[in-house]
Amino acid sequence: MSTVVNFENLWCVFEHRSGQLVHALEDVNFRVDPGEFVCVVGRSGHGKTTLLRVLAGLQPPTAGAVKLGDTAVTGPGSDRAMVFQQDTVFPWLHVKENVEFGLRANKLPEDERNEITNYWLQAVGLEEFADSWPRELSGGMRKRVALASAMAVGSDVVLMDEPFGSLDYFTRRNLHEVLLNLWFETKKTIFFVTHDIEEALILADRVILLAEGKLVDDIAVTLPRPRNEDVRATPEAVGIFKLILAHLGITEEEATQA
Amino acid sequence: MTTTDTDTLDVRAAAHRQKRRRQIAYVLYLILGIILSLLMWQLVAAPFSPLFYLVPPPFDAFRHFGENLMFSERMLERYVHACPDLLDELELTGGGMFDLPDHCFGYIRHIMRTTRNIMIAVTLGTVFGLTVGLSSLVFPRIADVVTPIAGFFGTTPIFIAAPFFVIWFGIEYPLMTTVGVVVFYTTLLMYFFSRRAADNIPVGIIESALTLGGDRGSIFRWVYLPGTIPEIAGGFRIALAGAWGLGTLVEVLGIQMGGGFLIRMWSFAMGVLEGPAAVVSLILFFGVLAVVVDGILVLFIRYITRWSESGRKLGL
Ligand SMILES: Nc1ncnc2c1ncn2[C@@H]1O[C@H](COP(=O)(O)OP(=O)(O)OP(=O)(O)O)[C@@H](O)[C@H]1O
Ligand SMILES: [Mg+2]
Repeated sequence: MSTVVNFENLWCVFEHRSGQLVHALEDVNFRVDPGEFVCVVGRSGHGKTTLLRVLAGLQPPTAGAVKLGDTAVTGPGSDRAMVFQQDTVFPWLHVKENVEFGLRANKLPEDERNEITNYWLQAVGLEEFADSWPRELSGGMRKRVALASAMAVGSDVVLMDEPFGSLDYFTRRNLHEVLLNLWFETKKTIFFVTHDIEEALILADRVILLAEGKLVDDIAVTLPRPRNEDVRATPEAVGIFKLILAHLGITEEEATQA
Repeated sequence: MTTTDTDTLDVRAAAHRQKRRRQIAYVLYLILGIILSLLMWQLVAAPFSPLFYLVPPPFDAFRHFGENLMFSERMLERYVHACPDLLDELELTGGGMFDLPDHCFGYIRHIMRTTRNIMIAVTLGTVFGLTVGLSSLVFPRIADVVTPIAGFFGTTPIFIAAPFFVIWFGIEYPLMTTVGVVVFYTTLLMYFFSRRAADNIPVGIIESALTLGGDRGSIFRWVYLPGTIPEIAGGFRIALAGAWGLGTLVEVLGIQMGGGFLIRMWSFAMGVLEGPAAVVSLILFFGVLAVVVDGILVLFIRYITRWSESGRKLGL
């Protein structure tokens, strides 16, 4: 049931109209075990989204492969539901129908659909808004709809591309909690792209660091959970924080100035 | 977040009152606008106006329309050869009123013919255009074949094609001509609108649907179909509005029936006392008809797209 995800010699090269070649991913190799919470961290334009899109099957690699177990990814599928950075909630479907979309596409019978949909709506705290239109919700609520839609599909692997990037601090915190609870219960493999080191420290079992398309470090985050302020203030946490900063090319001085 | 306390009812009643007030204001301003337009018209048609001989006063136009609607003495005079003594004929054929040419009756039969032709044509064109357009979303090959050809015809303004149709099918098959032009125009328009509507659905939404397990069928049913409705509906309004003009224009160009024919008939008699009144009243009638049909359409469209912003404005 649960599958290992393997990135094998993965290259992704884009040629821009200007003729410039961009190595979005350069020989990326790593392996993710079932149930891991992986945060992908890196500077803007350093290949995070590309990594997720290749895994989602939305972007064919130039060379190498992403494998689920033994089979290479060739296209998108409901075994790798994705939450996008931008708002991708279907505006013409009620909240409930949005969450139901994947289940409908996979032709589940109605009573099963209802049961699963209600469960996830409750999990993200939107059961009262099941019959609302997305335009009647706040931005954070719509993100929760997207989260519920992706979770409801029941895939073992969930991809999230800076899903909470545009949200305020409180909504973010709240959604971190929601997400971690869902993860504890379901033990899905989660790929979570973020440029926020703090966020990575709250969520991750493991931080994959990308710089100019190359995997520069693979850091195990063994801090105890929940990762509250006290945990994040321990020397171990601060060490990881500084390590990541250094990889991103930010010196300690710069960091303290910021 | 959810409020179920006693204030809710008051708040809701206040919102309803506000909405009602907005609706009343809307109707009042509409009436005001109509009155102002009529006043302007009256001024333009007044004896001191330079357009005095061309523009009949509103009342003349309305009266002319009313007097000729069910049965038109004036039209009968012109086509008396085609209309044998009505009463005798009716007795002979056992009430077969409809065997006589339209000219033997009032405007209403002409107008209804035009309306019917345009409705049939717009419906057919919409069905053709949408069928090809929407199925090309599921089978992109269709678009590869159809788009260049449709683009070729689409770049020919329909107003060039209209006289061509009139000459081709001409007076022999008047139904074919009017319906033909409007079907042609509506099909092209609806094809392009359905393609464009689909192009305007954000890529992210389609990609999201794909990663949630969507396949051709489910993405068509749950993404393309509802997502394209607002733009397709907008396109349909444009198609219908154009169809009124195009349909009557083709009739004006050379068809022996319909509202356009009436306009042409009277346009040869502009010097005659009633000419301007007749032409103005007929043009006005089709204008009002188009606006009323469009208004009904807008209400319907707002209902089916109540998930979008316009739905919010309507308070749905
Ligand atoms: N479709 C594309 N066509 C051409 N170049 C692309 C395309 N997608 C990504 N790239 C290039 O690949 C590089 C990595 O882009 P990517 O979107 O993966 O960055 P990112 O790490 O997600 O950045 P951000 O944090 O800003 O979202 C960039 O230099 C970008 O120009
Ligand atoms: Mg990105």
